[in-house]
Amino acid sequence: MATVQIKDEAKVGSEARFKYEPSAYLQKLYQTGTPDLGWMNQHGEWGIRAKPGNLGLRLKDIEIGSYGVVPEHGSTHRSMAPRGAVVPADVPSLDFTVNEKAECWADNAMELYEEAVARQWSSARDIPWDELRPLPDDLERAMCQLCTFFTEVEFIAADAPTRWMSRINQDFLEVKLFLATQAMDEARHTDVFRKRALANGGGLGTATTLSELSLKRIFDSPSFSVQTARLHLLGEGFVLTMFRQGEFIAQSRVEQEIFRRCMQDESRHVGYGTVHLREQLKSRPELAGEIHDQLDDAEQILLQTFSVPELVEPMAILMGGGIEHFDKGMELQGQLWRRIVNEYLQRCDSAGLDRRPRCLLPTDFAQLFGA
Amino acid sequence: MASFPDPAWFVALGRLMAAEGESFRRLGYAEVRFAIRVLSDEGEAIEGTTGLEFDGYALVRAEALTDSAAFEPDFVICGRRQVWNRMLEEIARNGRPELRHTLSSLALVGEELWLESSDQLREDKFYRVNQTLTEFFNLAAKLRD
Repeated sequence: MATVQIKDEAKVGSEARFKYEPSAYLQKLYQTGTPDLGWMNQHGEWGIRAKPGNLGLRLKDIEIGSYGVVPEHGSTHRSMAPRGAVVPADVPSLDFTVNEKAECWADNAMELYEEAVARQWSSARDIPWDELRPLPDDLERAMCQLCTFFTEVEFIAADAPTRWMSRINQDFLEVKLFLATQAMDEARHTDVFRKRALANGGGLGTATTLSELSLKRIFDSPSFSVQTARLHLLGEGFVLTMFRQGEFIAQSRVEQEIFRRCMQDESRHVGYGTVHLREQLKSRPELAGEIHDQLDDAEQILLQTFSVPELVEPMAILMGGGIEHFDKGMELQGQLWRRIVNEYLQRCDSAGLDRRPRCLLPTDFAQLFGA
Repeated sequence: MASFPDPAWFVALGRLMAAEGESFRRLGYAEVRFAIRVLSDEGEAIEGTTGLEFDGYALVRAEALTDSAAFEPDFVICGRRQVWNRMLEEIARNGRPELRHTLSSLALVGEELWLESSDQLREDKFYRVNQTLTEFFNLAAKLRD
């Protein structure tokens, strides 16, 4: 084998702060040439043969034997040592704080992780950017303002849960893997809306204080489950509906593909959040009160957020097809409002949270205007 | 030639889906069971309901349903004959429906197409695999009369 030439090799280590001493094992290996091989007798359950299904070897296919047992309480060593491996007694702790399965688990996390990996897309490759055509000024401004909003809010669904991701016990690996895909999804959403705003003669519009307040409350959530209620159940549930509206109001196949693909991603996030809350509330029903309190606040902020012209008007202009059809756009929004609230309440039902009596969101769109 | 919504019509789309191969793989796999319901233009009479199942990148099941509940679909996409026909005509003409006539857009408004499901989470699968559903229907442009 040819020797690799390393630039200035003589300098390497010349100012190193520590002196390297070969371990006793390496010295013995050098002297005797005999490998230790003791590690061959230290392992988890042995003889495991996971079988791939028709879609390859998925996480669910390796949840077998002792490896398929997800503990109710995370390991007390609090290290990154893989679940099912032999763990030395002296591994350093990473001080995970989410150590109970119920605090983060959702039975669909594995399925959603694999689905997310399989359904990734590229905003550069998969959006037919060359089909963009100049739009009338009002429509372009409305689309750019909507894209500004999404660029502003989307990454909170990466920043906020990943704050908790690093605190989740490594035994709940499947949840962490799913949250990693969510972060990737939100990176793509942030980039694709920014790209759309900058791709057709417009640019970014205005950020809003109320959106920022809403994001801050999500970011500052006191627990992962509370954050899930605010973020996945309410916030992403609403954004999911907005993405669906986005496909409806698309002015070209560019926006249509953007919104449809984002919608697919977002529905996975909502699916995780709903099932997590269901499992958490089953395990700790007393948490319902705290989650209701948080949703009281979150719904109030959401109503305020959607009471400013920067959010109400672009959607109405796009739905109506221009400023001259603003009324028609508002009428369409009114028709959709009941659907939005209904889906949110049904997701709360699915999570085992009877939200109906406390829900601040009016079922009638006219009530938003005090009518 | 079978006509929409006969199971054989969907089986023909399924064959096209298999022939497309890589383009559906790029969209990612889909595991979903759902039904398509066609209602008469005049009223609520059901002309036909077809149960469909995707497993991965293939249509693995297409059958006429008399009892939709027994099929246990994640969701049922319902619409009157003329709405389905308009969508299929647009697909035949342009390779895809007009912007506001896609599955998702029509189901959003809920007047021309609507979803039925026993659980919001299962209904949300319609959105999770929507690109696959859309591209599947767009294959109708390649069906020969």
